[in-house]
Amino acid sequence: MMRARRLLLGAAALVLAAGTRAAPPDGRALFVRPDKGNCIACHQVPASAGPAVRSDVGPRLDAARLKGWGRARLREVIEDPMRANPDTVMPPYGRHRILDAAEIDRLVDYLHALP
Amino acid sequence: MRFPDPRALLATLLVLAAPAAWGGAEQVRAGILAELRERYPALSPADMAAGAAAFDAARLAQAQARQPAPGAAEAIAAGKRIWTHRFAKGRSLAGCFPNGGRRIAAAYPQYDRRVKRVVTLETAINQCLKTYGQPLLDPADPATMGAVLAYLRSLSEGQKVAIRVAGAAAEARFEDGRRLYFTRLGQRNYACASCHLRHAGSYFGDAALPPPVGSAVSWPWLREGHPVSLQVRIRECLERMGAAPFPAGSEELAQLEYFLAYLSNGLPLRPGAWRPADGPHM
Ligand code: HEC
Ligand code: HEC
Repeated sequence: MMRARRLLLGAAALVLAAGTRAAPPDGRALFVRPDKGNCIACHQVPASAGPAVRSDVGPRLDAARLKGWGRARLREVIEDPMRANPDTVMPPYGRHRILDAAEIDRLVDYLHALP
Repeated sequence: MRFPDPRALLATLLVLAAPAAWGGAEQVRAGILAELRERYPALSPADMAAGAAAFDAARLAQAQARQPAPGAAEAIAAGKRIWTHRFAKGRSLAGCFPNGGRRIAAAYPQYDRRVKRVVTLETAINQCLKTYGQPLLDPADPATMGAVLAYLRSLSEGQKVAIRVAGAAAEARFEDGRRLYFTRLGQRNYACASCHLRHAGSYFGDAALPPPVGSAVSWPWLREGHPVSLQVRIRECLERMGAAPFPAGSEELAQLEYFLAYLSNGLPLRPGAWRPADGPHM
Protein backbone atom coordinates (compact mmCIF):
# COMPACT_ATOMS: atom_id res chain seq x y z
CA MET A 1 0.00 0.00 0.00
CA MET A 2 2.70 2.49 1.09
CA ARG A 3 4.82 1.37 -1.80
CA ALA A 4 2.03 1.82 -4.30
CA ARG A 5 1.39 5.30 -2.98
CA ARG A 6 5.03 6.22 -3.27
CA LEU A 7 5.07 4.96 -6.85
CA LEU A 8 1.99 7.00 -7.67
CA LEU A 9 3.51 10.14 -6.19
CA GLY A 10 6.71 9.48 -8.09
CA ALA A 11 4.80 9.11 -11.35
CA ALA A 12 2.90 12.32 -10.67
CA ALA A 13 6.18 14.17 -10.06
CA LEU A 14 7.57 12.89 -13.35
CA VAL A 15 4.47 14.05 -15.22
CA LEU A 16 4.78 17.50 -13.60
CA ALA A 17 8.46 17.74 -14.47
CA ALA A 18 7.75 16.80 -18.07
CA GLY A 19 5.03 19.46 -18.19
CA THR A 20 7.22 22.29 -16.94
CA ARG A 21 10.40 21.38 -18.83
CA ALA A 22 9.05 21.11 -22.37
CA ALA A 23 11.76 20.23 -24.87
CA PRO A 24 12.42 22.98 -27.48
CA PRO A 25 10.56 22.18 -30.70
CA ASP A 26 12.63 20.16 -33.15
CA GLY A 27 13.51 21.36 -36.63
CA ARG A 28 10.65 19.59 -38.34
CA ALA A 29 8.10 21.16 -35.97
CA LEU A 30 9.65 24.60 -36.52
CA PHE A 31 9.47 24.04 -40.29
CA VAL A 32 5.77 23.19 -40.13
CA ARG A 33 4.25 25.27 -37.32
CA PRO A 34 2.26 28.28 -38.62
CA ASP A 35 3.36 30.39 -35.63
CA LYS A 36 7.05 29.53 -36.23
CA GLY A 37 8.64 29.00 -39.65
CA ASN A 38 5.53 28.00 -41.56
CA CYS A 39 8.12 27.12 -44.20
CA ILE A 40 5.85 24.32 -45.41
CA ALA A 41 3.43 26.94 -46.78
CA CYS A 42 5.99 27.77 -49.48
CA HIS A 43 8.34 24.76 -49.73
CA GLN A 44 7.65 21.08 -50.31
CA VAL A 45 9.99 18.54 -48.70
CA PRO A 46 10.42 14.78 -49.32
CA ALA A 47 7.53 12.69 -48.01
CA SER A 48 9.36 11.26 -44.98
CA ALA A 49 10.47 14.74 -43.84
CA GLY A 50 7.13 16.52 -43.61
CA PRO A 51 3.45 16.65 -44.54
CA ALA A 52 2.34 16.47 -48.16
CA VAL A 53 1.35 19.93 -49.43
CA ARG A 54 0.93 21.59 -52.81
CA SER A 55 3.09 24.59 -51.85
CA ASP A 56 5.22 25.99 -54.67
CA VAL A 57 5.90 29.64 -53.82
CA GLY A 58 9.50 28.61 -53.04
CA PRO A 59 11.61 25.77 -54.48
CA ARG A 60 11.17 22.20 -53.27
CA LEU A 61 13.85 21.49 -50.63
CA ASP A 62 15.74 18.20 -50.59
CA ALA A 63 19.26 16.85 -50.15
CA ALA A 64 20.13 17.21 -53.83
CA ARG A 65 19.12 20.86 -53.85
CA LEU A 66 20.99 21.76 -50.67
CA LYS A 67 24.06 19.66 -51.40
CA GLY A 68 27.15 21.66 -50.56
CA TRP A 69 25.34 24.41 -48.63
CA GLY A 70 27.36 24.92 -45.41
CA ARG A 71 25.80 25.78 -42.05
CA ALA A 72 26.74 29.45 -42.34
CA ARG A 73 25.09 29.84 -45.73
CA LEU A 74 21.87 28.11 -44.63
CA ARG A 75 21.78 30.13 -41.42
CA GLU A 76 22.12 33.31 -43.45
CA VAL A 77 19.28 32.37 -45.81
CA ILE A 78 16.95 31.87 -42.86
CA GLU A 79 18.24 34.91 -40.92
CA ASP A 80 17.67 37.30 -43.79
CA PRO A 81 17.07 36.05 -47.33
CA MET A 82 16.83 39.68 -48.50
CA ARG A 83 20.61 39.97 -48.24
CA ALA A 84 20.97 37.62 -51.21
CA ASN A 85 17.76 38.74 -52.93
CA PRO A 86 16.19 42.07 -51.89
CA ASP A 87 13.01 41.14 -53.78
CA THR A 88 12.41 37.78 -52.13
CA VAL A 89 9.07 37.04 -50.47
CA MET A 90 10.66 34.68 -47.92
CA PRO A 91 10.46 36.24 -44.42
CA PRO A 92 13.66 37.43 -42.67
CA TYR A 93 13.27 35.09 -39.72
CA GLY A 94 16.30 36.27 -37.74
CA ARG A 95 16.25 39.98 -38.58
CA HIS A 96 12.54 40.23 -37.74
CA ARG A 97 12.87 38.04 -34.64
CA ILE A 98 10.37 35.46 -35.79
CA LEU A 99 12.86 32.75 -34.75
CA ASP A 100 15.77 32.96 -32.30
CA ALA A 101 19.32 31.77 -33.00
CA ALA A 102 18.76 28.35 -31.38
CA GLU A 103 15.63 27.77 -33.46
CA ILE A 104 17.46 28.73 -36.64
CA ASP A 105 20.17 26.20 -35.70
CA ARG A 106 17.51 23.49 -35.32
CA LEU A 107 16.22 24.35 -38.81
CA VAL A 108 19.71 24.12 -40.28
CA ASP A 109 20.04 20.62 -38.71
CA TYR A 110 16.69 19.70 -40.23
CA LEU A 111 17.64 20.97 -43.71
CA HIS A 112 20.96 19.10 -43.55
CA ALA A 113 19.18 15.88 -42.65
CA LEU A 114 16.68 16.07 -45.55
CA PRO A 115 16.71 12.93 -47.69
CA MET B 1 1.12 37.99 -29.38
CA ARG B 2 1.52 41.74 -29.89
CA PHE B 3 2.04 42.98 -33.39
CA PRO B 4 3.77 46.17 -34.45
CA ASP B 5 1.30 48.78 -35.65
CA PRO B 6 1.68 48.77 -39.44
CA ARG B 7 0.97 52.49 -39.66
CA ALA B 8 3.94 53.21 -37.42
CA LEU B 9 6.12 51.03 -39.63
CA LEU B 10 4.98 52.35 -42.98
CA ALA B 11 7.43 55.21 -43.14
CA THR B 12 10.45 52.96 -42.71
CA LEU B 13 9.39 50.02 -44.85
CA LEU B 14 10.55 49.16 -48.31
CA VAL B 15 8.12 49.38 -51.15
CA LEU B 16 8.19 46.27 -53.34
CA ALA B 17 9.02 46.57 -56.99
CA ALA B 18 5.88 48.33 -58.13
CA PRO B 19 4.88 50.28 -61.22
CA ALA B 20 7.53 52.97 -61.02
CA ALA B 21 5.89 55.79 -62.89
CA TRP B 22 2.55 56.87 -61.47
CA GLY B 23 0.18 57.32 -64.37
CA GLY B 24 -3.17 57.19 -62.67
CA ALA B 25 -5.63 54.49 -61.71
CA GLU B 26 -6.43 53.40 -65.26
CA GLN B 27 -2.77 52.90 -66.12
CA VAL B 28 -2.18 50.90 -62.95
CA ARG B 29 -5.18 48.72 -63.72
CA ALA B 30 -4.07 48.14 -67.30
CA GLY B 31 -0.57 47.21 -66.11
CA ILE B 32 -1.80 44.66 -63.59
CA LEU B 33 -4.28 43.16 -66.08
CA ALA B 34 -1.54 42.88 -68.70
CA GLU B 35 0.85 41.20 -66.26
CA LEU B 36 -1.76 38.62 -65.26
CA ARG B 37 -2.84 38.04 -68.87
CA GLU B 38 0.74 37.37 -69.89
CA ARG B 39 1.23 34.82 -67.11
CA TYR B 40 -2.22 33.23 -67.37
CA PRO B 41 -3.40 33.74 -70.97
CA ALA B 42 -6.18 31.18 -70.52
CA LEU B 43 -7.80 33.04 -67.61
CA SER B 44 -10.11 36.01 -68.13
CA PRO B 45 -10.69 38.61 -65.39
CA ALA B 46 -14.14 37.07 -64.84
CA ASP B 47 -12.50 33.66 -64.25
CA MET B 48 -10.25 35.27 -61.63
CA ALA B 49 -13.26 36.28 -59.55
CA ALA B 50 -13.41 32.62 -58.49
CA GLY B 51 -10.31 33.33 -56.35
CA ALA B 52 -8.17 30.29 -55.57
CA ALA B 53 -10.57 28.11 -57.57
CA ALA B 54 -9.53 29.87 -60.79
CA PHE B 55 -6.30 27.84 -60.59
CA ASP B 56 -7.65 24.69 -59.01
CA ALA B 57 -10.13 22.47 -60.86
CA ALA B 58 -11.09 20.48 -57.75
CA ARG B 59 -11.79 23.69 -55.81
CA LEU B 60 -13.81 25.04 -58.73
CA ALA B 61 -15.98 21.91 -58.80
CA GLN B 62 -16.52 22.18 -55.03
CA ALA B 63 -17.54 25.82 -55.39
CA GLN B 64 -19.90 25.11 -58.30
CA ALA B 65 -21.59 22.38 -56.27
CA ARG B 66 -22.21 24.94 -53.53
CA GLN B 67 -24.26 27.48 -55.45
CA PRO B 68 -26.01 29.08 -53.67
CA ALA B 69 -23.54 28.81 -50.82
CA PRO B 70 -24.77 27.28 -47.55
CA GLY B 71 -25.85 30.12 -45.27
CA ALA B 72 -26.30 32.68 -48.05
CA ALA B 73 -30.11 32.70 -47.95
CA GLU B 74 -30.14 33.00 -44.16
CA ALA B 75 -27.63 35.86 -44.20
CA ILE B 76 -29.64 37.70 -46.85
CA ALA B 77 -32.88 37.24 -44.88
CA ALA B 78 -31.24 38.43 -41.65
CA GLY B 79 -29.79 41.41 -43.49
CA LYS B 80 -33.15 42.31 -44.98
CA ARG B 81 -34.69 42.38 -41.50
CA ILE B 82 -32.05 44.84 -40.29
CA TRP B 83 -32.29 46.86 -43.51
CA THR B 84 -36.05 47.34 -43.29
CA HIS B 85 -36.31 47.64 -39.50
CA ARG B 86 -37.93 50.97 -38.63
CA PHE B 87 -36.04 52.73 -35.88
CA ALA B 88 -37.71 56.10 -35.35
CA LYS B 89 -40.35 58.17 -37.07
CA GLY B 90 -40.70 55.51 -39.73
CA ARG B 91 -37.02 55.72 -40.70
CA SER B 92 -35.00 52.70 -41.74
CA LEU B 93 -31.66 51.95 -43.42
CA ALA B 94 -33.58 51.36 -46.63
CA GLY B 95 -34.84 54.95 -46.50
CA CYS B 96 -31.33 56.39 -46.46
CA PHE B 97 -30.41 55.06 -49.91
CA PRO B 98 -31.86 55.74 -53.35
CA ASN B 99 -34.30 53.03 -54.46
CA GLY B 100 -34.11 51.36 -51.07
CA GLY B 101 -30.52 50.37 -51.93
CA ARG B 102 -31.27 48.64 -55.24
CA ARG B 103 -28.45 48.76 -57.80
CA ILE B 104 -26.10 50.95 -55.79
CA ALA B 105 -23.49 48.49 -54.48
CA ALA B 106 -21.43 48.22 -57.68
CA ALA B 107 -20.42 51.90 -57.34
CA TYR B 108 -18.89 51.43 -53.85
CA PRO B 109 -16.45 52.32 -52.48
CA GLN B 110 -16.63 55.86 -53.81
CA TYR B 111 -14.68 59.01 -53.18
CA ASP B 112 -16.83 61.64 -51.48
CA ARG B 113 -15.66 65.19 -52.25
CA ARG B 114 -17.56 66.73 -49.34
CA VAL B 115 -15.97 64.61 -46.60
CA LYS B 116 -12.75 64.10 -48.64
CA ARG B 117 -12.78 60.39 -47.86
CA VAL B 118 -13.35 57.05 -49.49
CA VAL B 119 -16.81 55.87 -48.45
CA THR B 120 -17.38 52.12 -48.31
CA LEU B 121 -20.81 50.52 -48.01
CA GLU B 122 -20.02 50.00 -44.32
CA THR B 123 -19.27 53.70 -43.84
CA ALA B 124 -22.43 54.72 -45.67
CA ILE B 125 -24.57 52.35 -43.58
CA ASN B 126 -23.12 53.62 -40.33
CA GLN B 127 -23.47 57.24 -41.48
CA CYS B 128 -27.19 56.64 -41.89
CA LEU B 129 -27.48 55.05 -38.44
CA LYS B 130 -25.53 57.93 -36.91
CA THR B 131 -27.81 60.50 -38.53
CA TYR B 132 -30.77 58.91 -36.77
CA GLY B 133 -29.03 58.41 -33.45
CA GLN B 134 -28.95 54.62 -33.80
CA PRO B 135 -26.16 52.39 -32.49
CA LEU B 136 -23.58 51.73 -35.23
CA LEU B 137 -22.91 48.26 -36.67
CA ASP B 138 -19.49 46.70 -36.14
CA PRO B 139 -17.99 46.26 -39.63
CA ALA B 140 -16.28 43.07 -38.39
CA ASP B 141 -19.51 41.40 -37.15
CA PRO B 142 -20.86 38.78 -39.59
CA ALA B 143 -24.27 38.58 -37.87
CA THR B 144 -25.15 42.26 -38.29
CA MET B 145 -22.99 44.22 -40.77
CA GLY B 146 -22.08 41.01 -42.62
CA ALA B 147 -25.75 40.14 -43.08
CA VAL B 148 -26.69 43.68 -44.15
CA LEU B 149 -23.90 43.62 -46.74
CA ALA B 150 -25.09 40.23 -48.01
CA TYR B 151 -28.59 41.65 -48.52
CA LEU B 152 -27.54 45.02 -49.91
CA ARG B 153 -25.09 43.51 -52.39
CA SER B 154 -27.68 40.90 -53.43
CA LEU B 155 -29.81 43.86 -54.60
CA SER B 156 -27.08 44.55 -57.19
CA GLU B 157 -26.58 40.99 -58.42
CA GLY B 158 -25.35 41.09 -62.02
CA GLN B 159 -24.61 44.84 -62.04
CA LYS B 160 -21.15 45.61 -63.36
CA VAL B 161 -18.58 46.93 -60.91
CA ALA B 162 -18.26 50.63 -61.74
CA ILE B 163 -15.79 52.37 -59.43
CA ARG B 164 -15.03 55.98 -60.34
CA VAL B 165 -11.62 57.45 -59.72
CA ALA B 166 -12.08 60.95 -61.10
CA GLY B 167 -10.05 64.01 -60.19
CA ALA B 168 -6.80 64.55 -58.35
CA ALA B 169 -8.17 63.91 -54.86
CA ALA B 170 -9.75 60.58 -55.82
CA GLU B 171 -6.58 59.58 -57.67
CA ALA B 172 -4.59 60.34 -54.53
CA ARG B 173 -6.77 58.00 -52.42
CA PHE B 174 -6.47 55.26 -55.06
CA GLU B 175 -2.71 55.76 -54.97
CA ASP B 176 -2.78 55.43 -51.15
CA GLY B 177 -4.50 52.07 -51.58
CA ARG B 178 -2.08 50.95 -54.26
CA ARG B 179 0.89 51.92 -52.14
CA LEU B 180 -0.46 49.99 -49.15
CA TYR B 181 -0.95 46.95 -51.38
CA PHE B 182 2.68 47.01 -52.49
CA THR B 183 4.28 47.84 -49.12
CA ARG B 184 5.82 45.21 -46.91
CA LEU B 185 3.97 45.19 -43.59
CA GLY B 186 4.37 43.34 -40.34
CA GLN B 187 6.71 40.84 -38.82
CA ARG B 188 6.69 38.42 -41.78
CA ASN B 189 7.63 41.20 -44.15
CA TYR B 190 5.08 40.40 -46.86
CA ALA B 191 3.24 42.91 -48.98
CA CYS B 192 -0.23 41.97 -50.21
CA ALA B 193 1.36 41.96 -53.67
CA SER B 194 4.05 39.43 -52.57
CA CYS B 195 1.41 36.73 -52.41
CA HIS B 196 -1.47 37.95 -54.54
CA LEU B 197 0.34 39.45 -57.52
CA ARG B 198 3.93 38.22 -57.57
CA HIS B 199 2.81 34.68 -56.74
CA ALA B 200 -0.78 34.75 -57.99
CA GLY B 201 -1.75 31.19 -58.82
CA SER B 202 1.12 29.62 -56.86
CA TYR B 203 0.17 27.40 -53.96
CA PHE B 204 0.59 28.76 -50.44
CA GLY B 205 0.00 25.55 -48.50
CA ASP B 206 -3.04 23.99 -50.15
CA ALA B 207 -4.52 27.23 -51.48
CA ALA B 208 -3.72 28.76 -54.84
CA LEU B 209 -3.15 32.48 -54.25
CA PRO B 210 -6.05 34.54 -55.65
CA PRO B 211 -5.06 37.50 -57.89
CA PRO B 212 -6.19 41.06 -57.09
CA VAL B 213 -8.35 41.24 -60.22
CA GLY B 214 -11.86 39.96 -59.49
CA SER B 215 -11.56 40.00 -55.70
CA ALA B 216 -14.24 42.68 -55.28
CA VAL B 217 -16.89 40.71 -57.18
CA SER B 218 -18.21 37.89 -55.04
CA TRP B 219 -18.05 39.11 -51.44
CA PRO B 220 -19.44 38.71 -48.90
CA TRP B 221 -18.12 35.20 -49.31
CA LEU B 222 -19.82 32.49 -47.28
CA ARG B 223 -17.39 30.60 -45.13
CA GLU B 224 -18.76 27.89 -42.87
CA GLY B 225 -22.14 29.57 -43.30
CA HIS B 226 -20.99 33.07 -42.27
CA PRO B 227 -20.67 36.13 -44.51
CA VAL B 228 -17.09 37.45 -44.84
CA SER B 229 -16.71 40.98 -46.21
CA LEU B 230 -13.78 42.19 -48.27
CA GLN B 231 -12.63 44.25 -45.26
CA VAL B 232 -12.81 41.30 -42.91
CA ARG B 233 -10.81 39.15 -45.34
CA ILE B 234 -8.14 41.85 -45.67
CA ARG B 235 -7.88 42.09 -41.87
CA GLU B 236 -7.38 38.31 -41.66
CA CYS B 237 -4.56 38.47 -44.21
CA LEU B 238 -2.94 41.35 -42.29
CA GLU B 239 -3.02 39.32 -39.10
CA ARG B 240 -1.30 36.44 -40.86
CA MET B 241 1.32 38.83 -42.16
CA GLY B 242 2.17 39.52 -38.51
CA ALA B 243 0.77 43.05 -38.68
CA ALA B 244 -1.80 44.63 -36.38
CA PRO B 245 -4.79 44.80 -38.76
CA PHE B 246 -5.95 48.31 -39.61
CA PRO B 247 -9.09 48.87 -37.52
CA ALA B 248 -12.40 47.81 -39.03
CA GLY B 249 -13.85 50.87 -40.73
CA SER B 250 -10.46 52.61 -41.01
CA GLU B 251 -9.39 54.84 -43.91
CA GLU B 252 -6.56 52.44 -44.75
CA LEU B 253 -8.97 49.56 -45.32
CA ALA B 254 -11.23 51.84 -47.35
CA GLN B 255 -8.29 52.85 -49.55
CA LEU B 256 -7.19 49.24 -50.05
CA GLU B 257 -10.75 48.37 -50.96
CA TYR B 258 -10.98 51.34 -53.37
CA PHE B 259 -7.84 50.10 -55.13
CA LEU B 260 -9.00 46.47 -55.28
CA ALA B 261 -12.55 47.28 -56.33
CA TYR B 262 -11.30 49.45 -59.21
CA LEU B 263 -9.36 46.44 -60.51
CA SER B 264 -12.70 44.59 -60.79
CA ASN B 265 -14.39 47.27 -62.90
CA GLY B 266 -16.64 45.86 -65.61
CA LEU B 267 -17.14 42.48 -63.93
CA PRO B 268 -20.68 41.55 -62.87
CA LEU B 269 -21.34 41.45 -59.13
CA ARG B 270 -21.91 37.89 -57.89
CA PRO B 271 -22.10 38.24 -54.10
CA GLY B 272 -22.42 35.28 -51.77
CA ALA B 273 -19.86 32.88 -53.24
CA TRP B 274 -18.70 29.89 -51.21
CA ARG B 275 -15.19 29.81 -49.78
CA PRO B 276 -13.68 27.03 -47.64
CA ALA B 277 -12.21 27.60 -44.20
CA ASP B 278 -8.53 28.55 -44.38
CA GLY B 279 -6.11 25.65 -44.23
CA PRO B 280 -3.62 25.22 -41.36
CA HIS B 281 -0.83 27.06 -43.17
CA MET B 282 -2.70 30.19 -44.06
C1 HEC C 1 6.51 33.09 -48.36
C2 HEC C 1 7.28 32.03 -48.94
C3 HEC C 1 8.41 31.40 -48.19
C4 HEC C 1 8.49 30.98 -46.89
C5 HEC C 1 7.41 31.06 -45.81
C6 HEC C 1 9.79 30.38 -46.72
N1 HEC C 1 10.48 30.44 -47.90
FE1 HEC C 1 12.35 29.67 -48.24
N2 HEC C 1 12.31 30.45 -50.15
C7 HEC C 1 11.24 31.07 -50.73
C8 HEC C 1 11.60 31.46 -52.08
C9 HEC C 1 10.69 32.17 -53.07
C10 HEC C 1 12.92 31.05 -52.28
C11 HEC C 1 13.76 31.21 -53.56
C12 HEC C 1 14.89 32.17 -53.39
C13 HEC C 1 14.52 33.61 -53.15
O1 HEC C 1 13.38 34.06 -53.37
O2 HEC C 1 15.41 34.36 -52.70
C14 HEC C 1 13.33 30.40 -51.03
C15 HEC C 1 14.58 29.82 -50.84
C16 HEC C 1 14.92 29.05 -49.73
C17 HEC C 1 16.16 28.30 -49.61
C18 HEC C 1 17.23 28.23 -50.64
C19 HEC C 1 16.94 27.07 -51.53
C20 HEC C 1 17.38 27.27 -52.92
O3 HEC C 1 17.57 26.25 -53.56
O4 HEC C 1 17.49 28.42 -53.38
C21 HEC C 1 16.13 27.65 -48.40
C22 HEC C 1 17.18 26.74 -47.81
C23 HEC C 1 14.88 28.03 -47.75
N3 HEC C 1 14.17 28.87 -48.61
C24 HEC C 1 14.48 27.60 -46.52
C25 HEC C 1 13.34 28.06 -45.85
C26 HEC C 1 13.05 27.81 -44.46
C27 HEC C 1 13.88 26.95 -43.53
C28 HEC C 1 11.90 28.48 -44.16
C29 HEC C 1 11.18 28.63 -42.86
C30 HEC C 1 11.94 28.91 -41.67
C31 HEC C 1 11.45 29.11 -45.40
N4 HEC C 1 12.36 28.84 -46.39
C32 HEC C 1 10.26 29.85 -45.53
C33 HEC C 1 10.00 31.30 -50.15
C34 HEC C 1 9.69 31.04 -48.82
C1 HEC D 1 1.28 35.18 -47.07
C2 HEC D 1 0.35 35.22 -48.13
C3 HEC D 1 -0.70 36.31 -48.17
C4 HEC D 1 -0.56 37.66 -47.96
C5 HEC D 1 0.71 38.43 -47.65
C6 HEC D 1 -1.88 38.25 -48.13
N1 HEC D 1 -2.78 37.28 -48.42
FE1 HEC D 1 -4.72 37.59 -48.95
N2 HEC D 1 -5.01 35.57 -49.09
C7 HEC D 1 -4.02 34.61 -48.90
C8 HEC D 1 -4.62 33.30 -48.96
C9 HEC D 1 -3.90 31.96 -48.80
C10 HEC D 1 -6.01 33.51 -49.19
C11 HEC D 1 -7.12 32.47 -49.25
C12 HEC D 1 -7.15 31.73 -50.53
C13 HEC D 1 -8.26 30.71 -50.45
O1 HEC D 1 -8.01 29.59 -50.01
O2 HEC D 1 -9.39 31.04 -50.81
C14 HEC D 1 -6.19 34.95 -49.29
C15 HEC D 1 -7.41 35.57 -49.61
C16 HEC D 1 -7.55 36.91 -49.87
C17 HEC D 1 -8.73 37.53 -50.45
C18 HEC D 1 -10.00 36.79 -50.88
C19 HEC D 1 -9.96 36.47 -52.36
C20 HEC D 1 -11.03 35.50 -52.78
O3 HEC D 1 -11.58 35.68 -53.88
O4 HEC D 1 -11.31 34.55 -52.06
C21 HEC D 1 -8.49 38.87 -50.53
C22 HEC D 1 -9.41 39.94 -51.08
C23 HEC D 1 -7.16 39.10 -50.00
N3 HEC D 1 -6.62 37.89 -49.62
C24 HEC D 1 -6.56 40.34 -49.91
C25 HEC D 1 -5.31 40.56 -49.31
C26 HEC D 1 -4.76 41.86 -49.01
C27 HEC D 1 -5.43 43.18 -49.33
C28 HEC D 1 -3.55 41.65 -48.42
C29 HEC D 1 -2.61 42.63 -47.81
C30 HEC D 1 -3.12 43.51 -46.81
C31 HEC D 1 -3.32 40.22 -48.41
N4 HEC D 1 -4.43 39.59 -48.91
C32 HEC D 1 -2.16 39.61 -47.99
C33 HEC D 1 -2.67 34.84 -48.71
C34 HEC D 1 -2.12 36.08 -48.45
